[in-house]
Amino acid sequence: MKSEPDAIKAGESGDAASGGISRREFLVRAGATGALLAGAAAGGYALWQPKHFVPGFEPEKGLQLPSYAVEPNKALPSLAIAHGAEHDATVRAAIGALGGMDRFVKKGDVVVLKPNVAFDTPPALAATTHPETLRAVAKLVLEAGAARVYIADNPINSPAGCFLKSGLRQVADDLNLDLLYPESSSFAPLQLDGEVLRNWTFFHEPFKKATKVIGVAPCKDHNLCHASMTMKNWYGLLGGRRSQFHQYIHSIVSDFALMMKPTLVVLDGMNVLMKNGPTGGRLSDVKPMNTVVAGTDMVAVDSYGYTHLMERDLAELAYVHKAQARGLGNTNWKDLLYKEVQA
Amino acid sequence: MVAPAAAKPPTGNRKTFRRTKVSPAERVASLIIVVLLVAIGVVIWFKGKHYDPDRFALNADALKSTASAVEGKSGTARGADVSPGETKAAAKTQADGESEATVEPAEGATAVPATAAKGEPLEIKLDGLKPMGDTEFYNADNLFEKIDGRAPAYLNFNFQHLRCRSFSITGTSGSFVDVYEYRFDTPVNAFGMFALERDPKGGPLDFAPDGYASGMGFFFRQGPCYIQVMASDQNAKTLELAKSIAEDRAKILPADDTGLDARRRLPVTGLDSASVQFVQENAQGQAFLKNVFQANYDFAGKKLLFFLMVATPAEAATAWKSYQAFTGQFGGKVTALPDVNGAKLFAAQNFGTWKVIYQRDGEIGGVVDTDDADKARAFVEKYLEGQLK
Repeated sequence: MKSEPDAIKAGESGDAASGGISRREFLVRAGATGALLAGAAAGGYALWQPKHFVPGFEPEKGLQLPSYAVEPNKALPSLAIAHGAEHDATVRAAIGALGGMDRFVKKGDVVVLKPNVAFDTPPALAATTHPETLRAVAKLVLEAGAARVYIADNPINSPAGCFLKSGLRQVADDLNLDLLYPESSSFAPLQLDGEVLRNWTFFHEPFKKATKVIGVAPCKDHNLCHASMTMKNWYGLLGGRRSQFHQYIHSIVSDFALMMKPTLVVLDGMNVLMKNGPTGGRLSDVKPMNTVVAGTDMVAVDSYGYTHLMERDLAELAYVHKAQARGLGNTNWKDLLYKEVQA
Repeated sequence: MVAPAAAKPPTGNRKTFRRTKVSPAERVASLIIVVLLVAIGVVIWFKGKHYDPDRFALNADALKSTASAVEGKSGTARGADVSPGETKAAAKTQADGESEATVEPAEGATAVPATAAKGEPLEIKLDGLKPMGDTEFYNADNLFEKIDGRAPAYLNFNFQHLRCRSFSITGTSGSFVDVYEYRFDTPVNAFGMFALERDPKGGPLDFAPDGYASGMGFFFRQGPCYIQVMASDQNAKTLELAKSIAEDRAKILPADDTGLDARRRLPVTGLDSASVQFVQENAQGQAFLKNVFQANYDFAGKKLLFFLMVATPAEAATAWKSYQAFTGQFGGKVTALPDVNGAKLFAAQNFGTWKVIYQRDGEIGGVVDTDDADKARAFVEKYLEGQLK
């Protein structure tokens, strides 16, 4: 047995002697804990990626689309309404009234045409952009000297089925246009200071080389937002489970006026889906209106479409009013310089 | 000499306790936890290093319920290694120069596990038809993937499943027929959705009482199913085959009119059959009017809107009282009318229009929203007397 001084010499404190820890053991433990903390901090620092985006935790610096709009021309109309029986002639009349496609597309431009191909339904049901309307716009773009023309959409149904059955693939084949189907690698995060659209995956592939963007949308009833026209058309560029935005449908549609500054939009009002939209299904849902509206202000084009083609009260179409309140367009289309022509 | 430390009593109030033994089980458990923590950390680190576009583009797991459709033209869930853009469309040119619309899955598309199938494929054996792809299946959770913003209207009527398939017409230039078979929980709800979308100008079908032909399509309700057969064009051959498909479906699907008693009580005389509507809740804005059938009638040169609801006698009596109370509000003038054939009646004028309401046992109904009180009363009385067949 040791005497008490012997025990102290051996490094045992009084606590140790009473069941606590010795100084040496304390130092060892403190040192180990400190080393662990330092190691964790060093590891964390090494792994830390300040620019790394973790969805839901960190706002990402996603891409923002440039403006594809051309310089405003005070001498030429910014809205044109053409009436006619033939798609080609009516589209030409509308674009001609705006000053011609040369005003918007220059030689060498890479142009994205964005139709609405949301469903795999035949053209006669008017749930998708009519192929003859797209054909007419594409021909004008090619005549203006575009170096390349892409057609792109991200339908909720199978893209192949939608483009085939809507007749739009045939247009791409006939005019030798580049038809881009969405693939998983076609998407990139988009950043926007929208009302609801902030960070979201976006069908970016068509826009990588684009210098001009033209939306070609049908005019149709929509069960959730009253009408789907040129603004709603851009919904088809979102990826992911975008249906969750349906509960904020007017907000997100108004956000599209912020997201996309197109060169031109064309509203296909030759045959309008007046009810049971957005899918329709009966010819009786469709009303021939023999009109094409083209313009640079989506809000104005949609406002005309809602009142004159769908024959409804604009007061109920919340998204155009939201967009106007944010300075993204003008619901009072008559305030713009406009021209109405007969094809 | 001092006593051994262990033998020393505790000092002061401090209770000392020192574990001297850690069981092997605890050591193993703690080792497993530490290893798991490290593994989780490594996985998080690895996943975080790589941006995964599929995180947004397509959550295949969430779509497994539709996986049986992935080989088809419009499968919403594709094989694990097949992206949306990897499906390919092929307009196959036949030897005779006619093209036949076909959509095929991408090469290398993985077969869908059989366990993911949601139902029997939609097989239609008719000459001149060729499936363009596999049957697609949707349920209430993913119906919007097929019909987008139209889905809420179907869900309101307790939609259960959709199976659909496209068929190309051989010998035509790209013609096809789409067949949609929406299944609801009850025949009456199927009727409700069918009636909501009905084309008022549609022509009747001789093979389906609740059905009509409209332009390029045939639409009918049979049992709890609402069938849509839509042709791609008005080509005679396409329409003929579309009609054959509709007849085929009507023959195969079992007839079931459960819950449609009230529909059958609507008199046929003067009925505009295209106007028959089923309203689940809040008919005429009244909470007490549920599962109501209503239709327009041409009665003695006057267009009248007649409705009826079939419930238990107690429910009908409650609705009768509520209806009277409501019509008495807002300055409404309620006039009791003599009973007819065991039915109680009253007439009321609200906001310039008349209504004549009756209740007999478990049935309540009447004519509403008319400016001609006499014809409304005459119509209701003739109905109650059984003079309107």
